[in-house]
Amino acid sequence: MAEWLNQNWVNIIVPFSVFMAFCIIGLWARRVIYNYLIKSLSRSGWSGQETIIHSTRGPIFFWFILFGAFVSIQISEIPHGIKDVIVKLIASIFIISIIWLMIILIDRLLTLYLNEFRGLKLPEKYVAAALRTTILVVGVLILVDFWGWPITPLLILISALILIAVVALRDAILNVFSGFEIAASRLARVGDFIKLGSGDEGYIIEMGWRNIKLKTPDQNILILPNSKLIKESIINYGHPLKKADTPFRFFTRLHLKELTGQKASYITDLVDMIRESPDAVIYYHTHHFLEEHHYLTPEPANDFSIWVGDALDEPVLSEKLANIDTLAYTSLSALKSAIIKTIEQYLLEKPDIKNIKAGREFNFVKSISIVLPTPFYASDLREFVEVVRKITIGSLYYHVFESRLRLQKRSNDFSVWFKDCLGEDDLADKLDEMVPYTYTLEALRSQIIQQIEKRIK
Amino acid sequence: MVNKTNKSTVHKLDDYLPIVGKNTIDELKLLADHLRGIKVQNINSTYSGGGVAEILNRMVPLLNQLGIDATWDVIRGDERFFDITKKIHNALHGMDQHISQEEYDHYLDINRQNLDILRPGGNIYFIHDPQPAMLISRKNETGGRWIWRCHVDVSNPDDNVWQFLEKTIEKYDAVIFSAPNFAHPLNIRQFIISPSIDPLSDKNIELSRSVIENTLNKYGIDPEKPSIVQISRFDRLKDPVGVIQAFKMVKKGIDCQLVLAGGTATDDPEYEGVLKDVMDYASDDKDIKVLLIPPESDIEINALQRAATIIIQKSLKEGFGLTISEALWKSKPVVATAVGGIPLQVINKYTGLLCYSIDGAAYALKQLLTNSELAAWLGKNGREHIRQNFLITRHLKEYMLLFIALNYQSEIIYL
Repeated sequence: MAEWLNQNWVNIIVPFSVFMAFCIIGLWARRVIYNYLIKSLSRSGWSGQETIIHSTRGPIFFWFILFGAFVSIQISEIPHGIKDVIVKLIASIFIISIIWLMIILIDRLLTLYLNEFRGLKLPEKYVAAALRTTILVVGVLILVDFWGWPITPLLILISALILIAVVALRDAILNVFSGFEIAASRLARVGDFIKLGSGDEGYIIEMGWRNIKLKTPDQNILILPNSKLIKESIINYGHPLKKADTPFRFFTRLHLKELTGQKASYITDLVDMIRESPDAVIYYHTHHFLEEHHYLTPEPANDFSIWVGDALDEPVLSEKLANIDTLAYTSLSALKSAIIKTIEQYLLEKPDIKNIKAGREFNFVKSISIVLPTPFYASDLREFVEVVRKITIGSLYYHVFESRLRLQKRSNDFSVWFKDCLGEDDLADKLDEMVPYTYTLEALRSQIIQQIEKRIK
Repeated sequence: MVNKTNKSTVHKLDDYLPIVGKNTIDELKLLADHLRGIKVQNINSTYSGGGVAEILNRMVPLLNQLGIDATWDVIRGDERFFDITKKIHNALHGMDQHISQEEYDHYLDINRQNLDILRPGGNIYFIHDPQPAMLISRKNETGGRWIWRCHVDVSNPDDNVWQFLEKTIEKYDAVIFSAPNFAHPLNIRQFIISPSIDPLSDKNIELSRSVIENTLNKYGIDPEKPSIVQISRFDRLKDPVGVIQAFKMVKKGIDCQLVLAGGTATDDPEYEGVLKDVMDYASDDKDIKVLLIPPESDIEINALQRAATIIIQKSLKEGFGLTISEALWKSKPVVATAVGGIPLQVINKYTGLLCYSIDGAAYALKQLLTNSELAAWLGKNGREHIRQNFLITRHLKEYMLLFIALNYQSEIIYL
């Protein structure tokens, strides 16, 4: 043994020295390279710098050791057959270390980037497992090829499996990629109110890797595939506004005309019958034209005014009755008194009003209101304005006219909710100040929408 | 028992969507949700001819589509029965009619023979007009709500006939009149539901230019000259001679033509005399066309209305006058007398012009012929007025509202 060492010490010392030199260079290079990397990556401001630095710190020194071993083996006097095997083993270890590093990097960067896609509920463990598997497969293929074994059958098998998976899961894949695009482009986030070109709308309550869940104004959950979202035009109104504890429930009101059986032929009969009429009758004759003729500008006056003008040919009294400001009265009995007072005052000045021909009597009709809940709710102003755009004229009429006067609320329903549930006093006052009787119902809808849009801009 | 289930003219509810809008259709569906599965039996006296059959033909399938189990049956009777009911009909309109006790007995007897038409277990029994009105005698056995739908103006009926009918009518839960001024005092609830037109029927559907031109060619009407058109049968109550007189006043200053088009009223003994008078009045003016339109010519009537510059309806007495709604639906400016149901359709100076005399009619015609902007504005308003208030969708809605309202006494019903 001593003799063998005496004869071969140079063959041992030189490779060992080279190996040790690589170890020392490795230690030195790790410090220099990392100081440089820390400085340059810090300037870039990239959030992944820490991950890169910490993940590669160990492997780089290890690679220097492997490189040192490789060079040492190459310059050593080991027989060629053994040398080749050792070199291949070292190269294989190097390839495996690269694969190991890539898996670590993928895991850490994935965690980092999935955190960036806030709200996008991606299945992290599945994505990570898929990427790990891909890297492992590629690594194994490289190793197999490196050792000279045939890889073509393996490649064909893998390609076929990938093709089958792509065909079978094409929609899902499309949705997943669309999901990434939505998240990466900040197209929408959880909590945003969006409106699609198709008319679908609502708050995003969940963003998944395949679809997005919307909560619609009628309280339904709408599930939209991500790919659909990408294809459609979208208006994103942004984050939710202040939510009310009690949502606004939209109702609609339909009405039926019921005859009371009373007919007035004389102006004095008219006054007496108005005096005896219930609220439903006064309400009908002072309001039905708003709904039935809501498309007309200017709208016809109330029924009493029209009858006095047309059937009694008393234009002055007709104008006086038309000019009664309905909005000035908070109850139908007060409005009724105003109508009676107007006629009675006129009769004091002109008591000889003629009678009308048979067939032109004033028929007293009462309005039977049937109030139905609609599927629509609103918890904030954004939801509210979107619902106002789509409710029926009957619904608008119920909340603006009927609630105030017939149901004797102090204001229209919208203003009450704005004030009591959202603390939107200014908006409530603006709506209250509007004189709804001077608009067609569609124009009134536009005015309400404008006021709310102005507030939430 | 005879039951009507379908006919070729049936339309789907969604066919009306482009005409009335999604909101209206949604509202109908919302309302129908509260009536799903109820049984409504309509009963009248004929499957064809007349406005009642026309509306039921369309209404019943639409109710079915909304989930309401609506059926339609007709009573059967002999010729004598229908002669008697014709007399009752005329008497309700105010004509002096003598109906003997034997005739009343026969009327009651035929109603009794038809009692088996009633389907047990119904929720609503919807009886149309006087012919089947006596079926109410079985109310205690059938249960359910009974509605008498009166399509006739009974504001000024023959007293004897009314007294005969009144006691029976008051056994119903409610009666429906077409207009407030058609009603007569009764001790039961009375609702107002106007009749309606179907925008998808041959009378009202959109027509191509070529169809209109072919009709004008067929009847020798000059398409270039402004035309005033009255569509109604040749009946003194439609005052065709008055229309010609008004036209002659207008024509002194404005070059235009008059078209009087109507079917033959063979059941009217005065028909031939009226037609002769009209022909005599019109004979000296080649710009007056008197057209006898055969039955089942709805497309031609539609074309004549669409080709008109102004549509006139100068009736001395009128039922509801749905020809006005048909004209307004075609965006035509209308001049009409304020009789029957016309003032509900023509809101003076908003959706048309009302008149009370021949001079008034001539003045209104001149105004519209010389002021095309006013004519267009009235026509536009008129179409909207019909869309909101006189289409079948509104009719359907009010029938459903009534089915609900019958179960409540309050004036505000929360569902």
